[in-house]
Amino acid sequence: MTAPEGRSVGAASVTVRVVHYLNQFFAGAGGEDAAGSPPARHDGPVGPGRRLAQLLGDGFEVVATVSCGDDWAATTPGAADAIVDLAAEAAPDVVVAGPAFTSGRYGLACARVVAAAAARGLPAVASMHEDNPGLDEAGAVPVVASGPVARHMAASLDALAPAVVAVAAGQPVVEHRIGKVPRVAKLSRYNAAERAVHLLLARLHGDTAATEVPLPRFDSVTPAAPVADPGHALVALVTEGGLVPDANPDQLESARATKWLRYGFDDHGRGLAPGRYRSVHGGFSTVAANEDPNRIVPLDAARRLVDQGAIGRLHGEWLVTTGNGTSVGNARRFGVEWAGELRRLGVQAALLTAT
Amino acid sequence: MALGRETKLDGVTLVVDPAEAAGAFADPALAAVRVGWASPGEPVRLVKILDAVEPRTKGPGGGGIFPGFLGPALPQGTGTTTVVAGVAVVVAGHLPRAQEAVADMAGPAAELSPLGSTHNLVVEFTPAAGAPWEAVDAALRRGALALAARLAETALDAEPEAVATHPGAGDDDGADPSLPRVGAVTNLQTQGAFKDVFVYGSSFAGSMPYLLDANELDDGAVVSGQFGHPSLKNPTWVHQNHPVAAALRARHGTDLAFAGVIVCPEPVDQAGKALVSAAAARVAAAAGWHGAVVTKEGGGNADADMALKMDELEALGLSAVGLFAEMAGADGTGPSLVVPPERATAMASTGNYDQRLSLPAMERALGGDTLALVGRPAVDAVELPAAVLFASLSPLGWGRLTCGESVPV
Amino acid sequence: MCNLVSIARRVGAPRIVPTRGIPWPAGDPSLPPAQEADWRERLLRTALAAVATHVEGPTVFEVAADE
Repeated sequence: MTAPEGRSVGAASVTVRVVHYLNQFFAGAGGEDAAGSPPARHDGPVGPGRRLAQLLGDGFEVVATVSCGDDWAATTPGAADAIVDLAAEAAPDVVVAGPAFTSGRYGLACARVVAAAAARGLPAVASMHEDNPGLDEAGAVPVVASGPVARHMAASLDALAPAVVAVAAGQPVVEHRIGKVPRVAKLSRYNAAERAVHLLLARLHGDTAATEVPLPRFDSVTPAAPVADPGHALVALVTEGGLVPDANPDQLESARATKWLRYGFDDHGRGLAPGRYRSVHGGFSTVAANEDPNRIVPLDAARRLVDQGAIGRLHGEWLVTTGNGTSVGNARRFGVEWAGELRRLGVQAALLTAT
Repeated sequence: MALGRETKLDGVTLVVDPAEAAGAFADPALAAVRVGWASPGEPVRLVKILDAVEPRTKGPGGGGIFPGFLGPALPQGTGTTTVVAGVAVVVAGHLPRAQEAVADMAGPAAELSPLGSTHNLVVEFTPAAGAPWEAVDAALRRGALALAARLAETALDAEPEAVATHPGAGDDDGADPSLPRVGAVTNLQTQGAFKDVFVYGSSFAGSMPYLLDANELDDGAVVSGQFGHPSLKNPTWVHQNHPVAAALRARHGTDLAFAGVIVCPEPVDQAGKALVSAAAARVAAAAGWHGAVVTKEGGGNADADMALKMDELEALGLSAVGLFAEMAGADGTGPSLVVPPERATAMASTGNYDQRLSLPAMERALGGDTLALVGRPAVDAVELPAAVLFASLSPLGWGRLTCGESVPV
Repeated sequence: MCNLVSIARRVGAPRIVPTRGIPWPAGDPSLPPAQEADWRERLLRTALAAVATHVEGPTVFEVAADE
């Protein structure tokens, strides 16, 4: 490895100070029995950190190692910050976490540690397998792929070392990068129309890979087991159609919603009456919805189905947000919160109207 | 720019008589109208922006400009059109279901909106008591187009600073026939009141795709009545200056042969989107196109129209590139698109909808006193997402905002 | 219950019932009131059948056509 450019002070270049985060096992402090141990700081590299230090070569020094029990790191509130506090004592230029392979608690800890370091302005990079459930918690911080198990340590460190060099030099990490790659807004010299024409000419001339926007990946969702008999089930109506009481008393946003709300049905069994509710959703014309709010939250039909025995009982409120320019992060959070809340109330199925 | 007793072009000063300007908006649905200038560099914030129109005319009284509104609904795109560039008539004020759109004339946000670099004749209005909002909207639209034509009329006898000649669709301009034929496929939002776009004076809702000559866009064949999604909207001004048409014209005869603009509605249902998209691809193929740049208007709903068009074009052997705004969240890690195409893969970015921007305090605001979004005075310093800046991510490709990969901390 | 089925599939929604329009997920303003009410009921019945069905991944349950 060569030392990065541009880190000179005066005429001499300065050694990059690296602090390495490991779990209790890789730090040699014990196995599951030590998983509850709090963070501790050691001078210099420990365990796999020694090989990492060799790979990084001159210009880099692993000045300290912070180790922590996987359970403590994954479950103690403020764990990531406590770990970064210890790391900060060694005045690092870069914080490196892992490789965590497929170990879930360790991967979660690594991801949170590098995210916490980045939040304090410290360059950071983590290493774990692409299936590690902790991957998404690293936020915008680069994560490089490791092998699946500790047997792949050598190859994993080979992939990690160049990423440490890149991060220390303020360069993007490209090779072996996994997880989210944040999109950063920039101002181009050319307007988007010109850039689109340029891309089109490239495509016409055979370059079918060129694009400014990468194709996105979405989660896969495990389906819930079916409800045995809806005629005996408690069912809830939920919506992203922005339907709220007419005064919008809780100020649900028309776009980029940051919250969800819940309102009790007070229709006396007749369905939603026009004039008392409206949709604040800014993504479509709400005229039809406001004429008949049951077009958004189908309460009248749901009541009839209860009467006919097709639905056991109807939960007495609707949950609502606005699905217009909602960030995926918020949408995911609302879904998780709705599921938790409805489950707590004994609801067995939720019928979501989406616009 | 000035206000004065007579609307005229006096040397390099465009003088507007406020009474005459207000007269263009005389309508039972409007109680009062006020006009004032806001020029680039002034510490002015425009809020509640509705539409913006570039002053253009084809002769006294309009001469056919803005067909279907000011002029009769007859095909345009031939002859001479006079343009007062660098000026816009901007209507600003409250309409229901209009999402609040902001533009600053100074500071970091100015360069992100087309209005930051035009001298804006801002029209504020008071609706007549009891007037239906649709009538207010229609009166504002007719007035803005009439005023825009009137401003351009002052320049009819002046010597132009530049003359651009654009061949018509049927003209043989000697372009090399072996060049790839390329056009724009432009999707227009057609969701009814306050979210509609007009072609030759009629809402384009329910239409099938139609092949226009870009010269028709120059003459105002497409007029915007769409007030949702501030950053993702295509105001009339941007249709008049269609950025993709301009980029294609610039390369006409060298890299490509510019073959026109297909306009399509954006139906609100999946079946409609599928039909219009398949039809648009067929029109492009029948017109002998080899490729298309596809544009949209609106948010995630319109991504579905984009993806279908791009995939249908590619299925017929045409190359497609789409212009998309990314909704990647404030930290840029969300998935960029709601509905990506499946077969087509080439997309240009118009920026991150969720990017946060800090706007400094201004001295004056036009269009309203309060920024309803944050419930604070419009002149206050404020942090806003790019989503709120007028046409900043315009999917017609006006802006220079884009997204790239991040550089780590 | 949504109109843009391709989006729902893409993001992994396990049980999807297609509706007749974005602005009216549980409605159809082109129908007279009695028929719209009937459509709404049939939509919900399809949704109930969907939640009572085992699925492996995104699955679309079409509302049966009018008799």
